[in-house]
Amino acid sequence: MKYERAFKRYNIEVKEAPAKVKLPPKYLVKRYANCVNLQECVNACIYGVHIIGEDGRVAEPISEKCRGCFVCVLTCPRGAISVEINPEFAKLGDTYFTPERMETIYFEAETGRVPVSGAGYGGPFAGRGFDGMWFDFSEIVRPTRDGIHGREYISTSVDLGRKPPYLSFKEGRLISEVPRVIEIPVPMILDSPLRNNRYLNLQLAVVKAANKLGTLAVVRKDHYGYYLSRYRGNIILRLSLAEVNEVGKVVKGIKVIEVDLTKSKEPRIKVFKEALATLRDLDRSTLISVRFRYAEGVSKEAYLYFKEGADILHLSVNDLKVKDDPDLAVRAIRKVHGYLVNKGVRDEVTLIFSGGIAEASHIPKSIILGADAVCLGLAYQVALGCKVCYGEEHKEDCPLREGVDDVDWAAQRIINLVNAWRDQLLEVLSGMGLRDVRRLRGEMGRAMFYKELDAKVFGGGT
Amino acid sequence: MSLLKGLRLPEVKQVPFPYPNRIDKYEVVIERDRCTACGSCVEVCPTYLGKSIVDYEAFEKVGGIIRLFNPNDICEGFKCMKCVNVCPHGAISVRLSKEYLTLGDHRWTSDLILSTWEQAERGKVSWRYEHRVGASGGGFDKLRFDFELDEEGPINYDDFFDPDIDTSITLNKRDDGRPRITIPIPIYGADMSFGSISLNVMLARAKAAQAWDTFVGTGEGGYPEELIPYKEHVITQVATGHFGVNAKTIRRARIVVLKYAQGAKPGLGGHLLADKVTPEVAKIRETVPYVSLFSPFPFHNVYSVEDHYRHVQLIKDINPKALVAVKISTPVDVDMVAIGSYYAGANILQIDGGCGGTGAAPIIAKKNIAMPIEYAIPIVHNYLVREGVRDKIVLMASGGIRTAFDVAKIIALGADGAVIGTAELVALGCKRCRNCERGRGCPSGIATTDPVLSKRIDPKWGAQRIINLYFSWLKQWHYILTMLNLKSIKDLRPKGEVKFVNGRFNHLIHLDYLKG
Repeated sequence: MKYERAFKRYNIEVKEAPAKVKLPPKYLVKRYANCVNLQECVNACIYGVHIIGEDGRVAEPISEKCRGCFVCVLTCPRGAISVEINPEFAKLGDTYFTPERMETIYFEAETGRVPVSGAGYGGPFAGRGFDGMWFDFSEIVRPTRDGIHGREYISTSVDLGRKPPYLSFKEGRLISEVPRVIEIPVPMILDSPLRNNRYLNLQLAVVKAANKLGTLAVVRKDHYGYYLSRYRGNIILRLSLAEVNEVGKVVKGIKVIEVDLTKSKEPRIKVFKEALATLRDLDRSTLISVRFRYAEGVSKEAYLYFKEGADILHLSVNDLKVKDDPDLAVRAIRKVHGYLVNKGVRDEVTLIFSGGIAEASHIPKSIILGADAVCLGLAYQVALGCKVCYGEEHKEDCPLREGVDDVDWAAQRIINLVNAWRDQLLEVLSGMGLRDVRRLRGEMGRAMFYKELDAKVFGGGT
Repeated sequence: MSLLKGLRLPEVKQVPFPYPNRIDKYEVVIERDRCTACGSCVEVCPTYLGKSIVDYEAFEKVGGIIRLFNPNDICEGFKCMKCVNVCPHGAISVRLSKEYLTLGDHRWTSDLILSTWEQAERGKVSWRYEHRVGASGGGFDKLRFDFELDEEGPINYDDFFDPDIDTSITLNKRDDGRPRITIPIPIYGADMSFGSISLNVMLARAKAAQAWDTFVGTGEGGYPEELIPYKEHVITQVATGHFGVNAKTIRRARIVVLKYAQGAKPGLGGHLLADKVTPEVAKIRETVPYVSLFSPFPFHNVYSVEDHYRHVQLIKDINPKALVAVKISTPVDVDMVAIGSYYAGANILQIDGGCGGTGAAPIIAKKNIAMPIEYAIPIVHNYLVREGVRDKIVLMASGGIRTAFDVAKIIALGADGAVIGTAELVALGCKRCRNCERGRGCPSGIATTDPVLSKRIDPKWGAQRIINLYFSWLKQWHYILTMLNLKSIKDLRPKGEVKFVNGRFNHLIHLDYLKG
């Protein structure tokens, strides 16, 4: 008994989980007919691209191993080797889920490790949306933490639910309602996968991953069934308005219910109020989350949801819209968070953000902008082989259209991805000298914005 | 008086790569089916001993070998096109080569890499490549000197070489009784540790620093004895891991740098992977071979400006003649840190921007933490000017400074000079493939401790490449100063605050904000 209560450091179990279908290699190495088998390239290459085949001659180059150092090109006296960007690689993903991002996600999902490389950053000076932000860090005058190497513990836990600003007592007894809060050890929850022909395995993998991680997974009502019931403590049940009335006993043991208003038209507040009343009647202890789309003026709506009694606000931005306008994600979080701050209620409600999360840095950036936690959707599906599908369902030619066969493998890849992203979150937190990710939320002063800085330094005056 | 008069200028010597092949910007493709080998193209080619022809299509189709010209010189590309026009059968086409399109990234474009190689090889710019800016879409790549807008045609920088122009800077502006070290060019070599780069590369850099009478940093990896002959030109570093740092090495150096943060991984410690900790590296770092080495972050004895002051004084006490440099990166409050360092007694403040180089760093840190140097320098400079101490401290910029023009621009934005790391490595053949951190390290023999791979760089050869590069840069600074009617690079640095109006400030223009 004593030992059970002992402090246990949160740890994610990472196991190698190689992709079933590898991404095409980044580089394409070709050997031309003017090769006369001098084998200089075999000696020059340290990655094993050029090897001697069984016939004693140089074999076809193994492009998968190439890391783009060009030493073979320079070494070949015959000019018989070329290295180029693989056109298949360049075609991957799209302008938002770029080939490089997909490659990174695959690496993270396979190994669970933080991507590391040498030399300076070679990308564009700045970009739009999340890419137009830099983090602050602490230097000299503020102590920093050493989290990533495990010497100091940095908490990545966040709380979901309502936190009353104060408690009331009468004659020494608590009279206000005890806050119902769920603590999750990582500020990431997993969204329901896009619809596909065989949702069973895929949904199970996501929920299993959430269970192992100790976090929550969003499950649509029509995907929820007996097969998931043992994991119901890790499930956020996502209900459309129509489903609210017919949900009945299903909700038993479910800790969070999400009312999906992303498809609803005005008056949303009124229908939410009704749905909330229905759900509260079923089980008072369930946390109610409301999922809504970002649009102009939605901040006030978010505030009203809170006023009506929502415990969690799930601000969702369409991935496709973020692809076309990356600034949208930043604007959405900033606006809703800012509105709640101005209304003086920000600390009482949880704000979850989803949409456009495509790399590890987007998590601390969302949190700095004002989200408590993020909801991962497309990113983990890309890790499982999705060809970056937007909308409601996986496209015809997407491997995830037919779900996944190996549930444990899929769960492990999600776990690995979350671990890699959590470790990178720790890197950022340790750089800033923070011990707790809760302290990062809304700390806009810990970010530098490209547009503001650029205008300040170079755009001054008119 | 110009300092260059006192300096014996190092000699430029041709030092090509030791490779038989080269990466060209253009490739000439001859369609085997159409070519009748009439030879008319050979006759019109201005670089007759012209061009290695890699005829990919033909090889694939026919499997034969076509070699019309010797692979000695470089094709002039789209400007020339004589062979294309003269060919009676329309068999020739000129296009950008596959390697050119693959090499490089937004900051170090293939043009910048190839032009740096060219300068390192011949000490000259050929104008075949864009040698001034990259394609990052911001910062240096959007800044221009005003004369650049109405500049015409290829400029031969050799014509602007003028011994009366002074490009020297002084590295101590305090009246603290310490030497007023002056270097004839406004740059010195960045800190790169033994372990992250090979000893041969360190030697090459030290030799080049000696030839130019400037400095080069040892980084945080100890002070290899092989560098002692160059000790007048070596800066040693005291960083959080204290690897190979002792009173002896501190007393040996004319400049000691206290590294608080590094631009590539600000707020995070250093990490030398176990593979690279060979017995030699371990010995010099006073540690165990093949064990990962962490430099913690930050200095756990420095949590305040007062601590910082004591830290600087400690070094000053150990070596009463050394200048103390403080290397910091660029958080939101970089100006506060800078003024703190001034009051702590630093002679040199080196600010390492977010795009700085590294042997290994998490990509999230390289991309996202700390602001670029193009912002940090004007912010710090302005603050120091307002505080009235700008003329008491030397401000050196590093992190993403690639070309002679970048150096001039950062000086025009308020720095005294720049610290150069990656450009030196590119001169030695770095292709920015970013594999420095894994396994045996760099296939070009630069960022490696592998005994076989590190032989790929010969220190003498390497030194000459860096010497050539800086010679080419010197001529470009002369050109810039001539165009701006300045006689000294010290005058390029603004005296007052940096303030852009309508996209203009002094001689600088920012293309995004330019009006009228």
